[in-house]
Amino acid sequence: MLRAVIAGFVAILAGFRTTFGYLFVKKPTIAYPSIKKQHAPRFHGLHELRRYADGKERCIGCELCQIACPANAIVVVGAENTPADRRSPGERYAARYEIDELRCIFCGLCEEACPTDAIVLTPRFEMSDYRRGSFVYAKDRLLVPPQGGVGSAPDERPNGIPADLGAVAQQKSTVDIATGYDATWYGRALKTERRGLAG
Amino acid sequence: MTTQPSVKTVTVTVDGVSLSVPEGTLLVEAAKQIQEDIPVYCYHTKLGPAGLCRICLVEIEKMPKLQIACNTVVTDGMVVHTASDKTMEGRRAVLEFLLLNHPLDCPICDKGGECDLQDFSMAYGQGASRKVEAKVAKPKAVDLGPTIVLDEERCIVCQRCVRFDDIITQERSLVVKDRGHRDIIATSTEEPYVSDFSGNVTELCPVGALTSKTYRFKSRPWDLNRTKTTCTQCSVGCQLYVDERYGDVLRTMSVAEDETSDGWLCDRGRYNIGFYNDPQRIASPLLRRGDEWEQIGWDDAVALWARQIREARDTTGPESIGVIGGGRLLNEEAFLLQHLFRSLGVENLDWRAGRQTVATPVFSGTYEELEAAQTILVFGVPPSQTAPVMDLRIRKAVVQRGARLVTVGPHSSGSSVTETHVRRVADIPSDAFDAERIAVVFDGIDATPMRDLHERFAELKRAGKSLIGFIPGEQPNARGAEAMGMLPRDGGRGTREVFSAAKDGGIRVLSLFGVNPALRFADGALATAALERTPFIVLSELFLTDTARFASLVLPAHGPFERDGHVLDMTGRVQRLFAAHAAPGGALSDGEMLVALADALDIEIPSPSALTARARAPEKRAMPRGEIRAAAPGGEAALRVIIRSDIFAGGGTVYHDERLEELRPRPIATLHPRTAQALGVAAGDLVDVIAGDRALRGLIVRVADAASEGTIRVVDGLPGAPANVLFDGEEVQVTKLEPAAPLAAAGAVAG
Repeated sequence: MLRAVIAGFVAILAGFRTTFGYLFVKKPTIAYPSIKKQHAPRFHGLHELRRYADGKERCIGCELCQIACPANAIVVVGAENTPADRRSPGERYAARYEIDELRCIFCGLCEEACPTDAIVLTPRFEMSDYRRGSFVYAKDRLLVPPQGGVGSAPDERPNGIPADLGAVAQQKSTVDIATGYDATWYGRALKTERRGLAG
Repeated sequence: MTTQPSVKTVTVTVDGVSLSVPEGTLLVEAAKQIQEDIPVYCYHTKLGPAGLCRICLVEIEKMPKLQIACNTVVTDGMVVHTASDKTMEGRRAVLEFLLLNHPLDCPICDKGGECDLQDFSMAYGQGASRKVEAKVAKPKAVDLGPTIVLDEERCIVCQRCVRFDDIITQERSLVVKDRGHRDIIATSTEEPYVSDFSGNVTELCPVGALTSKTYRFKSRPWDLNRTKTTCTQCSVGCQLYVDERYGDVLRTMSVAEDETSDGWLCDRGRYNIGFYNDPQRIASPLLRRGDEWEQIGWDDAVALWARQIREARDTTGPESIGVIGGGRLLNEEAFLLQHLFRSLGVENLDWRAGRQTVATPVFSGTYEELEAAQTILVFGVPPSQTAPVMDLRIRKAVVQRGARLVTVGPHSSGSSVTETHVRRVADIPSDAFDAERIAVVFDGIDATPMRDLHERFAELKRAGKSLIGFIPGEQPNARGAEAMGMLPRDGGRGTREVFSAAKDGGIRVLSLFGVNPALRFADGALATAALERTPFIVLSELFLTDTARFASLVLPAHGPFERDGHVLDMTGRVQRLFAAHAAPGGALSDGEMLVALADALDIEIPSPSALTARARAPEKRAMPRGEIRAAAPGGEAALRVIIRSDIFAGGGTVYHDERLEELRPRPIATLHPRTAQALGVAAGDLVDVIAGDRALRGLIVRVADAASEGTIRVVDGLPGAPANVLFDGEEVQVTKLEPAAPLAAAGAVAG
């Protein structure tokens, strides 16, 4: 009888071994959004359309990302550059470029298909909103604003984070400078507007 | 190429398969029998071999070197390998040469995705280039003409476009300029490339060198939703593919195997596609309130229409109701239209709304028979501007098969082939009737020559000769409308009599379907007076045309690519239309309008399946012979009017297609140099053409040697300058305008 009680108690202790073991392990919880987790260098998040150093759009509206997309999340409509309104080098630019981020599976095939390295996936992942329609990102939110530099290719990002994002965080946030950044260019613009933090 | 049954056959072995083909067959055609597609660039079934690109190399046993399949005639016992290692090596080398200076434009090239150079590079190319030098840079986006853009870098000089312009259209304006790597496509005169068939070169081009201005960078081929339908811009009835993306009709493509069009399209059919989403298109029924249009709902519109018809019938009788339309409707709709109004006792039904008075020839023939004719007699307005693709058949008959072309009347053929042009029927050379196969092409306007030649034709028919007739008219489905019964019977009035009655206030309700008599009816003054006096006019249209100025109620209809049903082409063949584009929400098809009207008037209509059966099997019945016009009086010195047709004239779809701005005809009066001198006007002057109390104002003078002396040639169907105020053959005076008038004239054209 007693033997059975002891054996049962030992079994319970053995069962809780994993549970109690975690009392002495460092907690993984991050104080999000004050502190944001370090991503893998090639993390696939929100898209960004890059520019050339002279400010021209890299995207030529060729629609190769659209046909490569396995989720049919991209819409591109091309148009012709005119001497008066030259958006990109060469003859063609994207008059319309839209990605439905809800449909997107963040596989990065668009990035691979792009012949001009225009579309890249950034580590930005915070895209919450209240309406489905808001998740269709058009050129106004995808394209790096002219004052935002050229955007950064994944290979050039220190620790997987775009160089420009670190700078943003340094100026406008009290959180972990090394890892914090705004979710989107759009978000940054909003924040700048609301807080009067324009540079 | 020749496939006459008397030719003996030879046996050839292609990739181990034994084939029997007629003697004289080209190897590239023979290989198609076993679905062994030999790659070609310069070769085209309808253009023949040229031996320029060398991509079709094949290995033939007992021949020391690779041979080009496109220009090798098969011989008995020939053994061919189209996929041997030696062949592949040959093709790889040819491709390396073709790609030496070809730019890496594929991502932005309009041809990318349907490009033969891409496809064959994938299949036979070596993948990587060995070239280390820079590629030769040439101008991109060269403006070749109003419709075509040339990218000189992409051109591989296969000369398909040059040969199309030479062999098919006979116009010979495109040439290859310079030699070696500097060779480019250009026009021989350095003038813009202007042709009514220019769009075909973009389809023939195996690379992206020649592209359409209207489609430039609009889409990639894999985005397009393709529908095969029938073109209803004229009465030829060409099959075409309509390519649409996101609700925009972006381009049309020809159907290579189509028997009607022979695989070609004219520029009107190809490029007049930009009006479907035009902001000026009517989006809901419009009711006139004084000078304003009020948008009303369909229920109210149909109820008002039905009430007007019922009141007119009950008070002034069915003779006071008129219906004009059918030439732009489907067979189903035309049948429904006459059924509905005949049920009410209305007999004033007619499709005629322009100058054309007859649509069904006495002896019908097919286009293939036209091509095989030995003598082609063309009466009146030449088909080059009313049925351009049919004119290509005539050119083919004349040039490739040695037919004789005789044009009768004030117009010469307007096409680029040799012709005998006579002014009067009596001047037709008598040996023209000696041929065994005679084709008669008649514009359907003035039947006087048909009456004069009636005995002659009957004689030929008795002699057992093949005599066939074609009427390339103004309205696409005029023949269908006639076959469906949209003609006055049992004492009903035709359009001319309806207008005469309306002028005296005898018509109370006039329903017009897709017609524009104010701009197009042969007697413009009569049409205008009639429309002004008619108290209630209902017009089913896409746009507010010149006729809409007189309408009380305008109903938004469906456009050509939005229709689903059947039409008859001018040879009487039933052609199928499939809807390729969704009509705007507020528009109804003419059929739907008529069903709603029948409902409001409590008229029983045939079931949809019965209608379709009726539309597919047109009744054969005796058709009218067309109007006989009195010969215009006058001496030799008088200045006479010739009314010319133009494929880009019109107040509807072309007028509201902004991309065709450059192609639309200007209000021009063409004069012979001596005539111009006698009148004291010079090229570029603005003139008024006065005929009694009627006037056609603000025409720009053009002087041309090709014009006949003592005539003034004006274009029919231009909003702002309606030539129908004048009559064909009428004597007129020309007065010169003050120089300050250009702005007024330009405003009239634009407005």
